Amino acid sequence: MFFRMIIRALFRQKTKMLMIAFTIALGASLATAMLNVMMDVGDKVNQELKAYGANITVVPKQASVLNEIYGLDKSDESGAYLREDELGKIKTIFWAFNIVDFAPFIDTRAKLGGSEVSVVGSWFDHHLELPTGETLNTGMINLRSWWEIKDGCWLDEQAGDKNAVMVGCVLAEKEKIKANDRIKLTTKHGSEELVVAGIFDAGGDEDERIYAPLEVVQRLADAKGMLTSIEVSALTTPDNDLARKAAQNGPKSLGAADYETWYCTAYVSSICYQIQEVITNSVAAPVRQVAESEGAILEKTKLLMLLITFLSLLGSALGISNLVTASVMERSSEIGLIKAVGARDGAITMLVLTEIIITAVAGGLVGYFAGFGFAQIIGHTVFGSAVEMKPIVIPIVAVLVVFVTLAGSIPAIRMLLRLRPAEVLHGR
Amino acid sequence: MKKQKMFFRMITASLIRRHSRMLVALLAIAVGATILSGLVTIYYDVPRQMGAQFRNYGANMLLLPDGEEKLSEESAERAIKAIDKEKLVGAAPYRYESVTINTMPVIAAAADMDGARAASPYWLINGDWPSADKEVLVGKTLAATLGIKQGSTVNVVYENETAKEQADKSDESKAKEKDGGKAFVASGILETGGTEEDYIFISLSDMAELTGVKGKLDAVELSVSASQDELKAYADKISGLDIDVSPRLVKRVTQSETTVLTKLQALVFLVTAVVLLLTMICVATTMMAVVAERRKEIGLRKALGASNGSIITEFMGEGLLLGGIGGLLGVVFGYAFAQAVSMNVFNSSISFRPLILPVTVVISVLVTGLACLLPVRNATDVDPAVVLKGE
Repeated sequence: MFFRMIIRALFRQKTKMLMIAFTIALGASLATAMLNVMMDVGDKVNQELKAYGANITVVPKQASVLNEIYGLDKSDESGAYLREDELGKIKTIFWAFNIVDFAPFIDTRAKLGGSEVSVVGSWFDHHLELPTGETLNTGMINLRSWWEIKDGCWLDEQAGDKNAVMVGCVLAEKEKIKANDRIKLTTKHGSEELVVAGIFDAGGDEDERIYAPLEVVQRLADAKGMLTSIEVSALTTPDNDLARKAAQNGPKSLGAADYETWYCTAYVSSICYQIQEVITNSVAAPVRQVAESEGAILEKTKLLMLLITFLSLLGSALGISNLVTASVMERSSEIGLIKAVGARDGAITMLVLTEIIITAVAGGLVGYFAGFGFAQIIGHTVFGSAVEMKPIVIPIVAVLVVFVTLAGSIPAIRMLLRLRPAEVLHGR
Repeated sequence: MKKQKMFFRMITASLIRRHSRMLVALLAIAVGATILSGLVTIYYDVPRQMGAQFRNYGANMLLLPDGEEKLSEESAERAIKAIDKEKLVGAAPYRYESVTINTMPVIAAAADMDGARAASPYWLINGDWPSADKEVLVGKTLAATLGIKQGSTVNVVYENETAKEQADKSDESKAKEKDGGKAFVASGILETGGTEEDYIFISLSDMAELTGVKGKLDAVELSVSASQDELKAYADKISGLDIDVSPRLVKRVTQSETTVLTKLQALVFLVTAVVLLLTMICVATTMMAVVAERRKEIGLRKALGASNGSIITEFMGEGLLLGGIGGLLGVVFGYAFAQAVSMNVFNSSISFRPLILPVTVVISVLVTGLACLLPVRNATDVDPAVVLKGE
């Protein structure tokens, strides 16, 4: 009998129940979309902030001391180097998955015509086969996203532009170099004939330099397989007290448990530490300009989204409970009738609640998928990538929907139960 | 006249008599309007607030001397004045000189410490910022090489060209020149992860005293809270000032800021759009439910001889009144919410946008009006006898 009544009620008041289900679906989809976006926004914005370039630089251990002793001229070719064959190991550290890009650098000075210029060797768009069997494309094209190409195009390393260079706009203007010109660079170790692939405007010191493929500069500097620095761009977790403590006193000062937590969290300092473990004789340090600002912006964005989510959850909760209250209250005459025929309060409550909950669950299900769709729309339009599906959202939305529906209907039902059937039926 | 009075009496009476249900409707509208005004306020304020966060990346504009000559302090000041005061976050003039510490050549950067602090908020100081005369900051690598710690005394020697020549002539005067260095106290060790770690930072007045030359600068770092296009406009303005200053944008910062900020703004925009759309539909369905349950009343009125037009006008009047009140409430709560968000996230207050008020009220009135119209029209189409009978 109970089921028959419920099923009849659901079918007889089809339009009204549909409307309730629709509103609940709207509320649930809002909650789902916002929760999904909020939980993923950190990763997404972190990814976007990679536009600022590397947040970790790796230099040889001795160089930091040697350069000082030998004076201010950083181009001095004496000093220790990093080893090129160890580069792939960066992608084998504990947080390898968080290493987005990296590029090796080697710099030297060479004669261009009459004047001496700074030449930097690096990867432009390098295809790398990792020891783990993975492959990776990385290089300056990602780490120098702000470079503006004034003339020509990016040096295409994979197309075999082995003897090409890119020239900074200030130097190009001074030496009257255009794209596709041939230039000759000479050092005491030899000379190279190179084609200018492009002129770039970097808005900094780099505008006075020449960038060439790694091997070319290694030949010019007679430093085969050697590097002067590595820039690494990694996704990191904003620093907290533990990370600051580790950075200030060194990881050794932490207790065993703290050390474990620190090592297994993607703090910039722990990633630096892990890079030092795999690259011999290296010092990896965070670039504070990038690392620090990243943390601040990430935290602000997350907090902003959290508060907006909170507002929309509140809004959808109030919206749902409002409608449920309204729809329960309008059934006063029906409830009066049931009471008049002799139904007990408990039975009536059960009846109304079951009806509403069935509607709510149906609406909530539809809403969850619709909301997930909204989240994907946001993800694709804003960040050009899908928003990850977070399983934790499902129970949150479920609890929200059930709780809000109950909260909306119970006071209304209790109010209706207090009414006297005769009065209600009379139409007061 | 009498008719109008009756109309108002009917509307107010129905609102007051059926207070519980009207409260439900009003609450729904107010919640919708709160979300609308709150989110729109935040949306308009995000670029400004987030832009301020991006100033953490430091200087986004450089003033360099135009030509080989050094920059004079007067022309630097004139160039800085070209930038609106409220947009300027920090301006740090720098002057670089080679000095020696313990016979080791070192680059000394003379800076206005307050300016440097504002323009480069990412600098980490182990110790304190220099506050008194003769206090300096020492870069981390330099400090490690020279064994300088916080509080150590650093003897800085400056040799200008003429002094050097004289010094070469006699060993005696050279020794004298070495003794002529000035003693500074390292108030803090600077950590940046960049080239700054190799320098020693001295205040401009100390540098003037050390070298005997005043008012010459190598560069001014500016941190301006402005978009790339606005910065370009400022740069053009400064170039047109007829002083020997060449302004340059720090591409790394400006370009990346544009990329990231555009994305963030798009995010907040889309989120706002989705939330508003869903909330408005939610408000509309609630209103529809509230009106639909009054079919009986409509039927009764029709039976008493009311025309369809007058019924619709009355219901609409009621709906619009609710929409107006709900909208006003929403503006107040929405502003309170936006203010709370701003204080929590950005630690700064938000300014009230007068335009939000009419927009919110008009939209909530429109949504409520539309939501009322549909069920009322349905009800008026029905034969009153059928409605009253309860079918």
